[in-house]
Amino acid sequence: MTSAPLTAAAPQPAVPGASWIARAVGFFSGPVGFAIKLLLLAATNALTVWAIGVLVADEKWIAALAIAAATILIDVVFLVPDRRLIPLKYLLPGTVFLVAFVVIPIISNANIAFTNWSTGHNLSKDEAIVAIQEVSLAAPADGATYTAAPAMKDGELVLLLVDDATADLYVGSADGLEPLPPETATVEAGTITAADGYEVVQGADLAGIDTELNALVIPTGEDTFVRAEGLSVAVEMQPTLAYDPEADTFTSIGTGVVYSDNDHGSYESASGDALEPGWRTHVGFENFSTVLTDPLVRDPFVRVFIWTFAYAALSVFIQFAIGLFLAIVLNKPDLKLRRIQRSLLVLPFAIPAFLVVLVWAGLLNDEFGVINQTLGTSIPWLFDPTWAKVSCILVNVWLGFPYWFLVCTAALQAVPEELTEAARVDGAGPLQVFRKVTLPLLLVVTAPLLIASFAFNFNVFNNIYFLTGGGPYGVEQAVAGSTDILISYTYKLAFSTGQGAQYGLAATVSIFIFFIVAGISAFSFWRTKSLETIR
Amino acid sequence: MFSSRRLRVAAGLAVTAFAAVVAVSSGTSATSQAATVVIWTDADRVAAVTQVASAWAASKGATVQVVQKDFGSIRSQLATVAAETAPDVIVGAHDWVGELSANGSVLPLSPSPATKKQFPAYSLNAFSYGTAIKKLYGAPVALENIALITNTKLAKVPTSFADMEKQALAAKKKTKAQVGIAVQQGAGGDAYHMYPFFSGLGGYIFGTNKAGNLDPSDIGVANPKFLKNAALIDKWNKEGLIRSQVAWDTARDLFTKGKVAYYITGPWFVSDIKKSGVPYKISAFPQIVPGIISAPFLGVQGFMVTKFSVAHGVESLAKDLVASYMMQPNSQLALAAANGRFPANTAAGKLVKDADLKSFGAASAGGVPMPNIPQMASVWGDLGAAWVRSTKGAGAITARKSFIGAQKSIAQKIG
Repeated sequence: MTSAPLTAAAPQPAVPGASWIARAVGFFSGPVGFAIKLLLLAATNALTVWAIGVLVADEKWIAALAIAAATILIDVVFLVPDRRLIPLKYLLPGTVFLVAFVVIPIISNANIAFTNWSTGHNLSKDEAIVAIQEVSLAAPADGATYTAAPAMKDGELVLLLVDDATADLYVGSADGLEPLPPETATVEAGTITAADGYEVVQGADLAGIDTELNALVIPTGEDTFVRAEGLSVAVEMQPTLAYDPEADTFTSIGTGVVYSDNDHGSYESASGDALEPGWRTHVGFENFSTVLTDPLVRDPFVRVFIWTFAYAALSVFIQFAIGLFLAIVLNKPDLKLRRIQRSLLVLPFAIPAFLVVLVWAGLLNDEFGVINQTLGTSIPWLFDPTWAKVSCILVNVWLGFPYWFLVCTAALQAVPEELTEAARVDGAGPLQVFRKVTLPLLLVVTAPLLIASFAFNFNVFNNIYFLTGGGPYGVEQAVAGSTDILISYTYKLAFSTGQGAQYGLAATVSIFIFFIVAGISAFSFWRTKSLETIR
Repeated sequence: MFSSRRLRVAAGLAVTAFAAVVAVSSGTSATSQAATVVIWTDADRVAAVTQVASAWAASKGATVQVVQKDFGSIRSQLATVAAETAPDVIVGAHDWVGELSANGSVLPLSPSPATKKQFPAYSLNAFSYGTAIKKLYGAPVALENIALITNTKLAKVPTSFADMEKQALAAKKKTKAQVGIAVQQGAGGDAYHMYPFFSGLGGYIFGTNKAGNLDPSDIGVANPKFLKNAALIDKWNKEGLIRSQVAWDTARDLFTKGKVAYYITGPWFVSDIKKSGVPYKISAFPQIVPGIISAPFLGVQGFMVTKFSVAHGVESLAKDLVASYMMQPNSQLALAAANGRFPANTAAGKLVKDADLKSFGAASAGGVPMPNIPQMASVWGDLGAAWVRSTKGAGAITARKSFIGAQKSIAQKIG
């Protein structure tokens, strides 16, 4: 915007800053610049070497290879002095970031869409088998609990136990439970603190015995055993399920019911009882068919889609209209306090959006809000389905018009004055000039931004979530309320149906949203090509 | 100086190679470490947890690392956190236990019988979950529930619900307030704060099966007993006793500015009330319908041991800290005081001097812990919305219709 005075000053020998910049460029082109480059490259390489170490330790080979390849490429491009490599200096880092922050999340999201990842299906299968065995442990009918003290004997870890019910003393080792003669042991506050022939593990040494302690299983019967639970408690336990690795099934020890892998990440009995926890597994296109066929997901989809479309379209249109109007009004050079007015208009843009939304939620409260109290009305801004929609658009317009004001102000400078003047000479009125000359030229510049803004408004989660939370809800609106847009509806589908988090289903819906937004944007860009012919 | 291009490349390679060697050597030296228990806790409790856990760690040769997290995000992040940075111990609410256990994220705990005896049965029960065998997954630390708070300048502590209704409406008329009782809902609804009304009219969320477990197929949001009394909600809506437009901040302001006689809230707003100077008394909620206790939801907060402690090699340490040390009266007192709650340990409870906290404790009688099964995720929104629809003043639909709709929605969502 300040370019006009600068070009006017062109005849002067030099802009004050220019010589300084030239000197800086000269300074950094030599050995100093090279040293800085080497330092940055060295830092990048060091980071890579460290990352590869971590990745290799976790056996993530593909990621390690990818990061190594990227770093070597960067080194080559920046160190080998070849003219053909110069464009790559700009392209390569950009591509690396694009892959890391755009492509990989998309792939990972698509991958999740084909899994059953949700509450109850969060582990790997091996982890789930361990967890099921752990959960299946029960206290036997006359199971004992003990106050335990870990101790060493001949280099082996044992437990010195005091039965909580009878106060009898025992030594527990992998061989079983042996009575400990009371005269050889000292018992203080219910726990054994010393015993002949044993070295009680105390104080700082307790931190080092974790693995050994958890591996210690003291058999007490056919399948019952005593195990340490923490450092001072031991409990007798008995499994209620037996795992058969050959058949990959769990069998209930009491009832004989067999639970087998149901291909959906759970061990399930013939009668449909599933063991918890389950595990994450690929379920093919199941989530996609759920979206298309489950009435819970499908029924609100069309209603929500129509509202989302209307919400985004109306928001952008009104934002643009107000922004353009203000830009034209404030474009008059003779207007007083033009700078201050312009700055004030940008304010809503400068405050964090979710704060603005929360403030609006308070202002719009229909009995206690400032707006109704000031106007003396009792409009149910947030409690009536139609008014709530109006409120959503109103708040979104408030958040968005400064952006369009800025864009239009800039774009107006680009409309050549000769054209508008020529139109006026030809006898066009101000409105005609605007409609036939200014607006079409403005649209050429702003059309791509309008499309981008539409796509953005399609997915503004915060505005809905903090203003209405998707409400108000009609009686038959189970998942999506009257003002839920696709993204907030996805959130609710994912986090407030079934057993809570349904990541797989949510990823699937977000793929649908991606294609909807991409489709609309592609169509719009194709249409706006016709605008460019104006030039 | 650097005339030769080859020299430049060589210099570059030499420097980067050196940096790489430095990185590797520093990386390997950092891997050997002492046993560290990582604890995730909310902002309120950071100081208390650090103090309690450090005292414990000193006697065991371990170290603790206390990480501050937003309370609610502890639950969601546990499902997605990378194993290297994962916590060994977390603070949490009892109603997370179903989800965390179904995810295999937390380990069962076995406190000694002597320790268990020091806790009210419901607090341990609240932290227990299992479709086949119920197991304890958390050490209860703090109890919380909402209660009725009376502005003693405007009204007396009610002797019955009819008395409360009469006094609330009289005060409403006097102060020209929009509602009689300040209880928070807002556009999204608030099933938690409305629960005393809900339970008092005969509503329940999940029934229990023969094994004593909550049964997600038995939903009592529109059970016959509740529906028989639901017309009372329409009456309250008509006379303006409660209003869904009252959000959490409006409810608080209505009471602290002396506009309403009654306020339903928890210990978290007591300091605001004290600051306002409004004279108040905390009491239990009166019975609405004879024979049905009108009680709040009970919330229990506590500490849990995660599955990650096994891989980190600190399982026995974490279990000792949570199921033994943190359940002792002294730790309980410090941890509960950190965010102004009543300690779960009975012996610690006797040491509490705060009269307000004691009154909240007394008001919890007859309450039920919030259901801890993961299906509860499908309930909150619909139950809250049912109240909003039937108490929004003009344009409200009848409670009967609203709650039947909610019941249908919940059943459909649980599937």
